[in-house]
Amino acid sequence: MKYAFFAGCLIPAREPHYENSVRKIAPELGIELVKMEGANCCAPFSIQSLDYLSWLALAARNLSIAEEMGLNIVTLCNDCYESLLMTNTILKKDKEMRDKVNKILADVGLEFKGKTDVKIFSDVLYEDVGLEKVKNAVKRPFNGLRVAVQPGCHLSKPKRLHFGQRMGVLALDELVEATGAISVPYERKEACCGGPLRGINDEVALSVAKQKLDSMKAAGVDSIVTVCPFCYLELDMGQIEIKRHTKNEYNLPVLSFAELLRVAMGMDLEDWELKAHRIPVTKILNMAEAK
Amino acid sequence: MHEVANTPRGKGVLACIQCGRCTSSCPVARVVEEHNPRKLMEMTILGLRSDVLEGQLPWYCLSCFTCLDRCPQGGDVGETMFAIRNLAVKEGNIPEGIFAQAKSLIENGRVVTASKMASINRERYGLGKEPSVDVEAVQKILKKTRFDKLVSKGK
Repeated sequence: MKYAFFAGCLIPAREPHYENSVRKIAPELGIELVKMEGANCCAPFSIQSLDYLSWLALAARNLSIAEEMGLNIVTLCNDCYESLLMTNTILKKDKEMRDKVNKILADVGLEFKGKTDVKIFSDVLYEDVGLEKVKNAVKRPFNGLRVAVQPGCHLSKPKRLHFGQRMGVLALDELVEATGAISVPYERKEACCGGPLRGINDEVALSVAKQKLDSMKAAGVDSIVTVCPFCYLELDMGQIEIKRHTKNEYNLPVLSFAELLRVAMGMDLEDWELKAHRIPVTKILNMAEAK
Repeated sequence: MHEVANTPRGKGVLACIQCGRCTSSCPVARVVEEHNPRKLMEMTILGLRSDVLEGQLPWYCLSCFTCLDRCPQGGDVGETMFAIRNLAVKEGNIPEGIFAQAKSLIENGRVVTASKMASINRERYGLGKEPSVDVEAVQKILKKTRFDKLVSKGK
């Protein structure tokens, strides 16, 4: 299984430990990640808020790079996923807009043809690799670890982009349980972490994060597992900031799903990766036990 | 209202029946009294142009799309918010954080660049440099869409 690998901005720039875990588990599961030469920013929320056409043109450039490679795209980040998937959907349908975008892309030697599909890494694991194969790869299950799955908004919203697919949140739940952990239901599970307002309105972002952390804590979980790098940052760093402002302490370690799976597959996180977590994760990772 | 409805992401405003389901499902409306998507739709319908486009109101939305999924009219509130923000930006209403990301996009082709710590870790633990962007291509695209001129209205 070969994919054009779109790592995005945030993960390579702030969470290289997340990227590293993906690179460790991918080959073990038969996934080949091929570099997208010169790919640019996906054009997330902030850029979409500025200008419609710039968004579509930037996202379309990435899509056409994958088309030239003859591969489908796999993204790690929920925001990249939303931007690329939505652009792909719009441009495949709307000929007028496609022509407009292609006029711009012609200047950089590319053309959007609508010949690639966009997937997020968890859906690739669930659909293309398959749940059984993932289960079989688990050598050290997290028996009994109580996890609050934080899917992140754009894993399955807006629903119209994902209609009729058993993927996204449901798939992530099953993947988490494939590692032996329990995905504990909690209130407002699909609600936002507040991350998109980081840097725009930090106070509001933190209040939204607090709502999530409160309901996770109320459900009595040991840790948080997410696929979205924004949720990861907001909920990990957010706990430190909330403690500073309100003395509320949650002590909920946050892991990316790739890290959880990597450890369950028998590969330890390295020291620098453990240190990248602001809420220490060693205790819960030690819950993984050989079968 | 038509100014919003005539943009690609703003058509939803025409379907709004003011039921308020967007506000009741909005995670920001739960913590910020000033943010009320239903009311912002109403103000847009009533044509209160400057109230809608100036100030903070367009910039509370997280674009989590909960309202969009829950709107019984297919009113696309979360999409309309993008239309409103696009118009606000034309009036020079760009929050500092967004402006910084736009600037980084023009200069580096990406909105976030590697922190010192991340760069060191990447090099040291075999991940190599962060993926390189064809910045020239990005700049060509942004010149053509007049993005640079648009952003310069911000600061």
